[in-house]
Amino acid sequence: MKIDDKTMQALTASLKFRQLRLELQASNIANAETPGYKAKKLDFEDALARALDVDGQLAMKASDSQHFNVGGGGFNNLQPEIYEDSNGIVSPDGNNVDRDQEMAEMAENKHMYDATVQLINKKLGLLKYAVGSGQ
Amino acid sequence: MDLLTSLKISSSGLTANKKRMAAITSNIANAQTTRTAEGGPYQPKEVVFGSEPARESFSEILEGELEEKAQAVHATEIQNSKKPPILKYEPNHPDANAEGYVAYPNINTMEEMANMIEASRAYEANISAMAAAKAMATKDLEIGRN
Repeated sequence: MKIDDKTMQALTASLKFRQLRLELQASNIANAETPGYKAKKLDFEDALARALDVDGQLAMKASDSQHFNVGGGGFNNLQPEIYEDSNGIVSPDGNNVDRDQEMAEMAENKHMYDATVQLINKKLGLLKYAVGSGQ
Repeated sequence: MDLLTSLKISSSGLTANKKRMAAITSNIANAQTTRTAEGGPYQPKEVVFGSEPARESFSEILEGELEEKAQAVHATEIQNSKKPPILKYEPNHPDANAEGYVAYPNINTMEEMANMIEASRAYEANISAMAAAKAMATKDLEIGRN
């Protein structure tokens, strides 16, 4: 078992993106009354799913070492999407931040972050158990 | 991209709302002020918020896409409101003009109170965001501690 296997890479990538998401949520909340500001959202789940490619359906077949790895694999060039939210009620000053929604999403994000940390710990715990020969 | 940036953004929100609160309290306190250093009645203050990229270091700017990234908020300027003063007929008032009218600042105390509640809620929301960032940073330290 490699320490830095696919699971670990996915978990650390997930932590990284949840931090970025929190950053955007903090930005949205801070700018909830800035004229013309549009709520910013981060979508990384799809990119992560493509990188993980659990069932091998998302990547293009690479039968030669010279082939580009398109779609799946590759945690190094994960491209999450940051976009401006086009939904929501736009107030007369052009701002569309929904503070309550941001708070709810922030709580969810924090919860998932905690869960991810716990998963990393479980994974490390397994390694520790293996290293200690089950003592 | 780290939790410190989130903290920085939230603290910019706190600062901006504190400035706004200062302008509101100043407006309420001076609702009846007819005499100022600049002459004339007190001019109601309005705080204008603007957003700015939260990144400052050179490498972060090089990364580009600044306009898409997280934005800090700042109170760009404290402007004098454009509302014209209210004229009241009080011929005996020391600041009355030749026709006997006194110019009072055009401040609606109810409006200011509503703004104050909004500012304090915004402040609390930023505090919550800050608490979330701190909790996540603390959680980071738990990695490998088992």
